Amino acid sequence: MENYKKLIQEQLLTNAQVNSRRHFLKDCTLGIGGLALGSFLQSCSPNAIPKNNYSNVDRTLNPLTPLAPPFAPKVKSVIYLHMVGAPSQLEMFDYKPALQKLHNQKCPKSLLEGKKFAFIRGEPTMLGPQASFSQAGESGNWISEYLPHFKKVIDDVAFLKAVHTDQFNHGPAQLLMHTGSARFGRPSLGSWATYGLGTENQNLPGFVVLSSGGTPDAGKSVWGNGFLPSVYQGVQCRSKGDPVLYIKDPKGVSRGLKKDIVAAINSINHQEFLKYEDPEVLSRINQYEMAYRMQITVPEVMDINSEPESIKEMYGVKPGEESFANNCLLARKMVEEGVRFVQLYDWGWDTHGTNHDTSVDLGLRNKCREIDRPITALLLDLKQRGLLDETLIVWGGEFGRTPMQETREGKTNKFRGRDHHGDAFTMWMAGGGIKKGALHGATDEIGFSGIEGRVSVHDVQATILHLLGFDHEQFTYDYQGRPFRLTDVAGSVIHEILA
Amino acid sequence: MKKSIYLNIFAGILLVSFILIFFGLKPAEKVDFSTQVKPILNKRCISCHGGVKKNAGLSFLFQEEAMSVTESGYPVILPGNAKKSLLIQKLHETDPEQRMPYQKEPLSKKEIEILTRWIDQGAEWGEHWAYNIPKKEILPEVGNEFKTLGFLRQPIDYFVAARMEDLRLSPNQMADKEILARRVAFDLTGLPPARALFDAFIYDKISYENLVDSLLNSKGYGEKWASWWLDLARYADTKGYEKDPGRSIWQYRDWVIRALNDNMPYDTFSIEQLAGDLLPNPSADQLIATAFHRNTMSNDEGGTDDEEFRVASVIDRVNTTFDVWQSTTISCVQCHSHPYDPIKHNEYYKLMAFFNNSRDEDTPDEAPNFRIYSDENEKRIASILRWSARHGNKKIIQDLQKFFKYLEPKYQLHNCEEFVNGELSDSKYLGLRDNGSAYLKNVNTQGNTNLYLYYTAGPMGTEITIRNGNAEGEILAKFPAKKSKWTIAKVPFKSVTETIDLYIESQNDGINALRTGSKILWFAFVPELPGKGEIGFNKIENELLKLINNPESLTPIMIENPMHMQRGTHVFDRGDWTSKGEEVRAGTPEFLNNWNNEWEKNRLGLAKWMVSNENPLTARTLINRVWYQLFGRGIVSTIEDMGTQSDPPSHPALLDWMSVNFMESQDWKLKSLMRSIVLSGTYRQSSKINKEKQQIDPKNEYYARGPKLRMSAEEIRDQTLAISGLLSKKMYGLGVMPPQPDGIWGHAYMGDLWKVSEGEDRYRRAVYTYFKRTSPYPSFMTFDAGSREVCAVRRLPTNTPLQALVTLNDPVYLEAAMNFAKSHLELNSVEDAIKMMYNKATFKKIDAQKLEVLKELYDAAISEYEEYPAALDGFLNLKEITDKKLAALTLVANAIMNLDEFLTHA
Repeated sequence: MENYKKLIQEQLLTNAQVNSRRHFLKDCTLGIGGLALGSFLQSCSPNAIPKNNYSNVDRTLNPLTPLAPPFAPKVKSVIYLHMVGAPSQLEMFDYKPALQKLHNQKCPKSLLEGKKFAFIRGEPTMLGPQASFSQAGESGNWISEYLPHFKKVIDDVAFLKAVHTDQFNHGPAQLLMHTGSARFGRPSLGSWATYGLGTENQNLPGFVVLSSGGTPDAGKSVWGNGFLPSVYQGVQCRSKGDPVLYIKDPKGVSRGLKKDIVAAINSINHQEFLKYEDPEVLSRINQYEMAYRMQITVPEVMDINSEPESIKEMYGVKPGEESFANNCLLARKMVEEGVRFVQLYDWGWDTHGTNHDTSVDLGLRNKCREIDRPITALLLDLKQRGLLDETLIVWGGEFGRTPMQETREGKTNKFRGRDHHGDAFTMWMAGGGIKKGALHGATDEIGFSGIEGRVSVHDVQATILHLLGFDHEQFTYDYQGRPFRLTDVAGSVIHEILA
Repeated sequence: MKKSIYLNIFAGILLVSFILIFFGLKPAEKVDFSTQVKPILNKRCISCHGGVKKNAGLSFLFQEEAMSVTESGYPVILPGNAKKSLLIQKLHETDPEQRMPYQKEPLSKKEIEILTRWIDQGAEWGEHWAYNIPKKEILPEVGNEFKTLGFLRQPIDYFVAARMEDLRLSPNQMADKEILARRVAFDLTGLPPARALFDAFIYDKISYENLVDSLLNSKGYGEKWASWWLDLARYADTKGYEKDPGRSIWQYRDWVIRALNDNMPYDTFSIEQLAGDLLPNPSADQLIATAFHRNTMSNDEGGTDDEEFRVASVIDRVNTTFDVWQSTTISCVQCHSHPYDPIKHNEYYKLMAFFNNSRDEDTPDEAPNFRIYSDENEKRIASILRWSARHGNKKIIQDLQKFFKYLEPKYQLHNCEEFVNGELSDSKYLGLRDNGSAYLKNVNTQGNTNLYLYYTAGPMGTEITIRNGNAEGEILAKFPAKKSKWTIAKVPFKSVTETIDLYIESQNDGINALRTGSKILWFAFVPELPGKGEIGFNKIENELLKLINNPESLTPIMIENPMHMQRGTHVFDRGDWTSKGEEVRAGTPEFLNNWNNEWEKNRLGLAKWMVSNENPLTARTLINRVWYQLFGRGIVSTIEDMGTQSDPPSHPALLDWMSVNFMESQDWKLKSLMRSIVLSGTYRQSSKINKEKQQIDPKNEYYARGPKLRMSAEEIRDQTLAISGLLSKKMYGLGVMPPQPDGIWGHAYMGDLWKVSEGEDRYRRAVYTYFKRTSPYPSFMTFDAGSREVCAVRRLPTNTPLQALVTLNDPVYLEAAMNFAKSHLELNSVEDAIKMMYNKATFKKIDAQKLEVLKELYDAAISEYEEYPAALDGFLNLKEITDKKLAALTLVANAIMNLDEFLTHA
């Protein structure tokens, strides 16, 4: 038994040496690029490379080294736009004229039986759509007056009209949407993607999170690494303060001095390596080099001022502020630079109708205004740069909203508002591999339940992984004695919206 | 590498091993089921023929399943006749549609040969090694080489040496004393060694054993190992989920630190955390220990069903208990029988029945809470109890005592139903409007005549009437709920001894019919204070109410339901809590040790079962995980899982020997266990890697070199503060808030702000840092700490550029660097300062080359600050007047504190 182990180890070692040295020399541009490396490197830890990727790359020095997925991918990167709080599909995409006719009528008891709502108690009344709709583009898909700009790109988009989830509270529903499980502890979509694919640009994080208005209810777990190594967790880039925590050189330390500091650290670490021959030390040297370069590249990418006025105008950015428009522009810059997964969270979509801002006739109109132009600009901008074909854009919330006016503790809310609703809501995708202008799924005449083309959260996730070049059933990580996957035991690819 | 090379190598090896087996083993040699057969079945067969998928009606999980008739009408295994057994025939098939495993790699000849021989020998079933009680192994004989090298210092070393011999490896030299002293100090206390202790050891004033004992006796030991345990306990200072508001449970953290420092035996440590409340006359500490299982998250979000989240907590307790003590991922069994391990679906719910009768119900006040009163109030309570003892019987005193301690038992009013003009306000409280009513069913007041209630009411208050059974029933209590903020009030209640439904109604003509007059969280029925009519009674009775309204601190704990409030436990079909199947009674899984009928059929019994010497997994799990902490890998490398899917132990005999030794000779004492490991030759080796060892054993599975580990998130902070002279020695208390960048806490609920601690609290050890689940301290996260939402058995160490940014640029580390530099400014020369700083940081003497590198950095900084003196204004934003020398030396300190030698312990 033992002597063949030795043979394999030798082979792995030779393999590792060749690959790592090539990587190391290519990636290191500062100071010590030419230093003589020791000749032995660790073979990969068992889980360093996903089982089904046929890459012969070594990740000892850099766990984010790009890998080829097992199947031909349709896209290189993903921009995921999540409207935190759950946007109302009934005022945005899912046009229900029949609901208008039922406006103010008592909700039929049959709809309420066996259903649980977050807030609705007693017998609510129906609430007609608060926006008017029209058909747009060659596809003739319906679109709300709240989203006038979006008409321009409607033919690039494929709608999912009957997505459903079994969670009706924000936190668990967000977790389910992003980690495949409503309970804590699983890796997020972006973590799976960077674990499986690494990232193209080593001077930027592979998985970037941008938020506007506040963070999601479920907290950082929605971009957490779960049981994957923490290097695959999302890195929150902020429009205020340091774009990445601790990225700025402290006051009084110039770039030149920082370079001297890093060079001194790495030079001494290299001496240590020669003495103890621990390959982890080489990895650390590499990480310090990357950190130094990241300090330049991250602020550069995060600086939207350098963009031409026309582009800023197109997105409607507000430099210096934390806004969804800024984040859309940043997302484009990120994927342009090779970031694998950009996750946007925009807060403030929980339209219960308890006040002006959370009403579906007033507040929601303003929220839509905040995203309409930036999203349209993002699609157009990616397109004009030829990036739309290699990027996937996903839009959605954690669930949808009820066709009923919300009643709380027996009283009708002051403003027009809708409660949480997971049975049917709208999401859309655009970009590489997506059938342009497609429409999949439909809801009943009041938008309460999906009646055809129902898709689950796991189906959406399976489709995203598919576009990235993974079979969601094969893409697993061994933990606690069994393989885990993003889609747990469910999910199938939604072929109807694929080109 | 080309695949074909692999294949060629493999083919060659297979041939060689086949020949070896063919000639090396006599055909009659008995096949061992658990080490030879079971691994093949688990690896190659069980994913289609196991607990979840039973294709063709066949499962290899349990003996009775594997041997029974399948869909084909026959069993696939015919003991004694391999040739006729369908299992073996299927392995030999050439038709790909027929050959098993279906559409997967065929079994190797060796594997088929083992299965064939096993069936021919009678197909005896056996247990997996992990489910057999650990055996007292004898120390193996090893070659003289190990003796001459001074390697054999502890029994452990004989087992390690024996495995090394198998691979013809020889151990490294013992590590230099400087390195060893630093390594063991971090491993035992999470801090660098105190200078005096270090010097005493280096200059041979004390032995290595003395050094180890001194470290084990320092308070730092408990603080270091608490971090490990708190990951398992999913300890945090917030409740989790959406709102993630604060939770007062830090006394549990302090309990862990004290218990570890007191060297509480692990069996006691386990029993007190799992069931301290069920011990006879539990002490305050034993009650606080049970907060272990109150670290589950709880959800206060509007619209959440408290029962759903109560059940979620109970499920988490079952899963965590098995993760922590049994290395068994039992969560799969919620929905179906375990796919790989021999655990049946209903056995999960039998375990759940042990945990399903605690009083907590996901209420916003986190009841039950252990209440600590101010010293003065404790005295008053004692005097009330003395009064009661004079006038009343023992039962009353006990009931009163419990009520003071944790206000139980009480009825939570979220269980009300059939509301009229009212509802469950915010899905938490009974909220009734004018002419409102609701039922609280199945209440047993035990004949008590005092009703305590926790309520709040608006300006007009409301009149509450409680009737027996229904709207026409006898009035049991009637009282005005007057305007009040949340308070505990007391009203007289008519004595009823049987179980009844309470009909609760409210009247208030003074307010709008749509407004809720009052909100009530709970009712408690408490016996009358004895001695009514005696002089002083009224004063004492009023005082009682005042006292219970004024606890000083609260800690959520476990309290068991009294008999009249027991809940039944049902199997959940496919794990869905709303779909209840057969009712089950508490019981432990069959594949583990037997139940002793002397044990109580409750959590206490379960805890005793778990720490019984017969339990095959508890000691092994602990040994394996402590070993992981000290060596960076487990003897069973899958430290989460010790079962049919786990990796086999690298040193099975060692694992067993240590487990038995721990239970029988070390009396379950963790310090004895740690001591025996760190005194071993295995641990004391140098971590130097040479080419040969790297090739033979790249992952150091055979321990022919010492461990070199990157420090944990906590150690990185604590070391930096310690070296720079900033670290506070203060222990215990509320979580502290060291500086973190602005805007880290996303949305702030009331009173929920990161307020940077002042004075020495800014520089406390990491274990005291306030832990918010949805937003943990950012630099800890960067260094691989988890978010404590669920039990975490291991942290995966990573090496990333973001870590470099923390130690290079985080103001916490910059402040430390400057403080470090400042104390070396007065030395004669820069060289002296650098030499001393390097030595203080790494406990090594600097060599000329490194000194030169750091001196160059210093010189570069000096010349830059000479050229641009303005750069010194507001240097590092530290509000200190900084001259060029201090600035330059600070940068050198910053560099030293980023060295690999500093961030790891070799």
